[in-house]
Amino acid sequence: MTDVASLRPLAAVLVSALAIPVILSLKSKPNVREGVTLTVAGAKLAIVASMVPGVLSGTTYTTELFDLGNGLAFELQADALGVLFGLLASLLWVVTSFYSIGYMRGLSEHAQTRYFASFAASVATAIGVAFGANLLTLFVFYELLTVSTYPLVTHDETDEARAAGRKYLTYTFGGGVAVLGGTLLVYFLTGTTAFTPGGIAALATADPTLAKAAFALLAAGFGVKAALMPAHSWLPDAMVAPTPVSGLLHAVAVVKSGVFGIARVVLDVFGTDLMAELGVALPLAAVAAFTLLASSVIALRQDNLKRRLAYSTISQLSYIVLGLALLEGNALIGGLLHIPAHAFMKLTLFFCAGAIHVETHTDDISDMAGIGRRMPLTMAAFGVAAAGMAGIPLVAGFVSKWYLVIGALEGGQAIFAAALLVSGVLNIAYFWPIVYQAYFETPEHHDEKPLVGAVFGGNEAMVADGGEGEHDEPEASGSGSPDLTRGEPADDRHDAAAEPAADADESAPDPAHVDHLGKRHEDEEHHGGPPEGGWERRSWLGGESTWFMLGPILTAATLSLALGIAPRLAVFLRVVETVVGGLPGVMG
Amino acid sequence: MTADLLQLDLLTTRYNYFAVMLLLGIGLYTLIESPNLVKKVIGMNIFQTGIFLFFITLAFRAGGNPPVVTEGGGPYASPLPHVLILTAIVVGVSLTAVALALIVRIYSEYGTLDENTLEELYYD
Amino acid sequence: MIDHLPVLLVVLPIVGATIPLVASLYTDRAGWTIALVTMVAHAALAGLLVREVWTGGVVSYAVGGFTIPYGIELVVDGLSLAVVALISAITLGVLAYARRAGPHENTFYSQLLLLVTGLTGMTVTGDVFNLYVFLEITGLAAYGLVASGREASAAVAALKYLIIGTVGASLYLLGVGYALAATGTLNMADMSAKLAAVGYDSTLVLTAFGLMVGGLSVKVALFPLHTWQPDAYANSPDSVSAFISALVSTVSAYALARLLFSVFTVDFLTSVPAARWALVAVASVSIVAGSALAVSQNSVQRMLAYSSVSQFGLVIAGFAVATPTAVAGATIHLVGHAVMKGGLFAASGIIERETGASTVGGYAGMGGRTPLAAGAFTILALGMVGVPPAIGFVGKWYILVGAVEAEMWPVVAVLLLSTLLTLAYFARLGERLYFAEPTIREEAAVADGGGEGVSTGMLAVVVVAAVLAVALTAAVPALEQLLNQTLPPLIQ
Repeated sequence: MTDVASLRPLAAVLVSALAIPVILSLKSKPNVREGVTLTVAGAKLAIVASMVPGVLSGTTYTTELFDLGNGLAFELQADALGVLFGLLASLLWVVTSFYSIGYMRGLSEHAQTRYFASFAASVATAIGVAFGANLLTLFVFYELLTVSTYPLVTHDETDEARAAGRKYLTYTFGGGVAVLGGTLLVYFLTGTTAFTPGGIAALATADPTLAKAAFALLAAGFGVKAALMPAHSWLPDAMVAPTPVSGLLHAVAVVKSGVFGIARVVLDVFGTDLMAELGVALPLAAVAAFTLLASSVIALRQDNLKRRLAYSTISQLSYIVLGLALLEGNALIGGLLHIPAHAFMKLTLFFCAGAIHVETHTDDISDMAGIGRRMPLTMAAFGVAAAGMAGIPLVAGFVSKWYLVIGALEGGQAIFAAALLVSGVLNIAYFWPIVYQAYFETPEHHDEKPLVGAVFGGNEAMVADGGEGEHDEPEASGSGSPDLTRGEPADDRHDAAAEPAADADESAPDPAHVDHLGKRHEDEEHHGGPPEGGWERRSWLGGESTWFMLGPILTAATLSLALGIAPRLAVFLRVVETVVGGLPGVMG
Repeated sequence: MTADLLQLDLLTTRYNYFAVMLLLGIGLYTLIESPNLVKKVIGMNIFQTGIFLFFITLAFRAGGNPPVVTEGGGPYASPLPHVLILTAIVVGVSLTAVALALIVRIYSEYGTLDENTLEELYYD
Repeated sequence: MIDHLPVLLVVLPIVGATIPLVASLYTDRAGWTIALVTMVAHAALAGLLVREVWTGGVVSYAVGGFTIPYGIELVVDGLSLAVVALISAITLGVLAYARRAGPHENTFYSQLLLLVTGLTGMTVTGDVFNLYVFLEITGLAAYGLVASGREASAAVAALKYLIIGTVGASLYLLGVGYALAATGTLNMADMSAKLAAVGYDSTLVLTAFGLMVGGLSVKVALFPLHTWQPDAYANSPDSVSAFISALVSTVSAYALARLLFSVFTVDFLTSVPAARWALVAVASVSIVAGSALAVSQNSVQRMLAYSSVSQFGLVIAGFAVATPTAVAGATIHLVGHAVMKGGLFAASGIIERETGASTVGGYAGMGGRTPLAAGAFTILALGMVGVPPAIGFVGKWYILVGAVEAEMWPVVAVLLLSTLLTLAYFARLGERLYFAEPTIREEAAVADGGGEGVSTGMLAVVVVAAVLAVALTAAVPALEQLLNQTLPPLIQ
């Protein structure tokens, strides 16, 4: 492990931070402004990528910024773990920037300058989190990340967006305070906060109660951003943000910074040996396992696609935390590999959801029957990514899951392996119907979605003849399904009072399973759903949407496949193995 | 015994301090309780006077002599606290002057010197 | 001249204060220029003093050449140096702001310079009664400045400030009396030795401590002695509220620290734990109560005033913890808060002038109409919340480290909580500024206050304040070094 002093970590952080004022000044020249974003994103990726070969061979690039004395310093370091997150964030920012252009212009969104500037700030601070060399630096960038992402969450400026923003701030600043408390304790116990592979030595000889308190504070603080239950509820609400934000930030940068923080704490502050000694790993693993099962179940009940993806994210993040908490070599590899794997897959899924929103203004799964005709490439990418989420081979999710399950079994903790497998089944349960109905069903003939959405304990809506309630036979009423959607402009589409009086009351599905996230136009009309006569057919050659959106979708899907087929070649597995290999005392 | 209970010797020798407490109490009470602004300022002055009395009382030094007398000099009071009090009196006078100037302005603007009425007007 | 630097620092503004009064025989608008010249000279002297102390250590000066401790001593060490520099810098900033914004009469600038005298005097003095005199000078000038607002409510606010402030100063004086009775001296250094000799459990000493600290707490505006502050800040002209909020409570808090460490010393705090915990308790209650009251405010300036109550609770808690790190942190926060709070008041003044918005509801959507002022306001607010790398975070961090070192866990908890509490009242302003629809129509705004206009100087001041809020973090190591030279003798 050699340390090399270099400006590259600092450059990686600064290149987009310095672009912020440039972007802000280009309000009147949108194309130049977007060009700046793309150039800077490319530059950032180049800088981070240039450090990868060195890191793989054991070099760590450090930039010392500020020595505060007494063992405190502002320092950046690009080691294997940092490069893992950094490479991921910068790579996906390039992809997301293209997508953002398509999305924001497709919807003619307001305040695009603020949007792109905040994005640049967010990614700069995310890289700062990745390259923080000690808890204090990481904390600084962690807080700045919250501040830079807030304008993106409240972008819509509706009441709902503002409420979501407030909740986001409260939860993440609360988490920040806990991290600060934990950092203080660590500093008090050891005199330093620097990340040392294998753990800070002095911590092993410190008072165990205080050490456990420090771990609890740090895990809780980082766990807020990592959406561990019960601090997870900010994430579904934050889905009110534009989809690129939900994708890059709330599936990749922000939530992964929380998981990354936990990784740093487990591996580089406490170390696997001390974790096992203190006995704090098991509670963490239990919380993670609970989260991954509970949120998968909740996901089944979501009708809004983005909210379902949000709960899926919560679940998948706990895979990573579980892997870290198992302290086992293979489990660690699996957990860490899941960081990029999940990122690629989830980004694909979110981008698909966004493309569907832009092209057809559809947000709810129950409106998406037969949408495969309208958006074939998008749904194909969706299918690939969904398969990876469930752990189907050839897609990235399979590789990480494989390591995780092996690691759980090797460590003798079969219950966690069981939890992972059950979760896989649940993943299929909430993703497969979306894909199936897209290609193999039509707006006229489809099952009620979500499958487990209706009233618990019996309901008249789930009847063998195809269901009553809102999916009444359109043929019977003589016109197409448009009755259900365009016919009642001011109504929530599940206000089944308009349906034939016979089943009015009983079949009025309880709104509980409908999660509408208020978009601006929500109040006037429910836009979603197929137009008259069903979805129109589009070709498989890209006629369904702009290439600004399709390109990134297909890129992300391809990356997921690449990571699944050749994980070592796609560099990430090698980085992960370097991380775990560099930890003293852990079987690689 | 009754003398002890009433702390008579304390009263007879240290009556200054009781006077100080009395003045402080009266001053503070007037300051807080009286609704009239001018009376509040009077209360403030009485409060400060109590403090002055305190300082002057502690100037007396038992068994002290003026510097020029070698033996048998009478009761001696250190001039330092007296000087401090002169300063404090000046400060008190200027404070009273500023306060009264403000009161004149308040009266001309609001037409009342009653604290309760002012509060209603103020928060309009 | 170098020998007489400390006393010159005090004399210069006094002389400067008389000149506008003389000049008013000829013109009524000369005040600003005279004040500027005086303050530039004051800043130069302060700079020289900084160099003196930096290279030569503590500077001591006997006024009138009378031997210490019989005469009045002026002492400048690292702690007072920071505050002196702060006074100079902030006054210059306020002058830049007041050129367009503030009252323009000669008497205003006279009072301003008098206030600077009082503040500088409080900072450099080494004598407890001298401190009282300068405290009263500061107070009188402040009451006058608050009353210089045009509305009648300014007079009422000034009177309330006067009465409560006088009670506080008088309590301090009473405390000085008890201390004099116990030790026979007024010089701070001499008194600390004699107090130790008398014994810290003596009733005289304890009463002196309680009265002196209580009196100064009124001036620092700790809860529940803060009631004069919101009215005073809200009803005075913008330049005045920026000035007073940045400096008066700050220097009073400095005086409290000087009292704690140079007169009573840390030994007193350790041998009378009740005193330390009482101080800590008052400070913690201030932190929580100040924030709670701030959240419920509608008027932005009153909210900022209650925010000061909370922030000074933080500073006093740092002083009460009394470890070198905590005291360094409290000093850093003192300086940082002065810059940030002054900037916030200045920015809110600009926003009110440009858009007519002065309530939380009125701030909605103003981010678009006053981009510079709103941006500066947001950055300063984030600094107050304690988002790194602003200086608000650095001070808090050091106080926290000190509290953890001293194992005062309740203090640690309250301090950590304070970030969230501060966030509670600042976040909604930030949100309103940028993410809400404006509630004040543009024409209405112009009709109300837009006519007075905003000068480049005013905008420059708030921008500089916002920049300093972050840039001062870079100066922290230097400040720490300075304090490390000074504090150990103070904090054993």
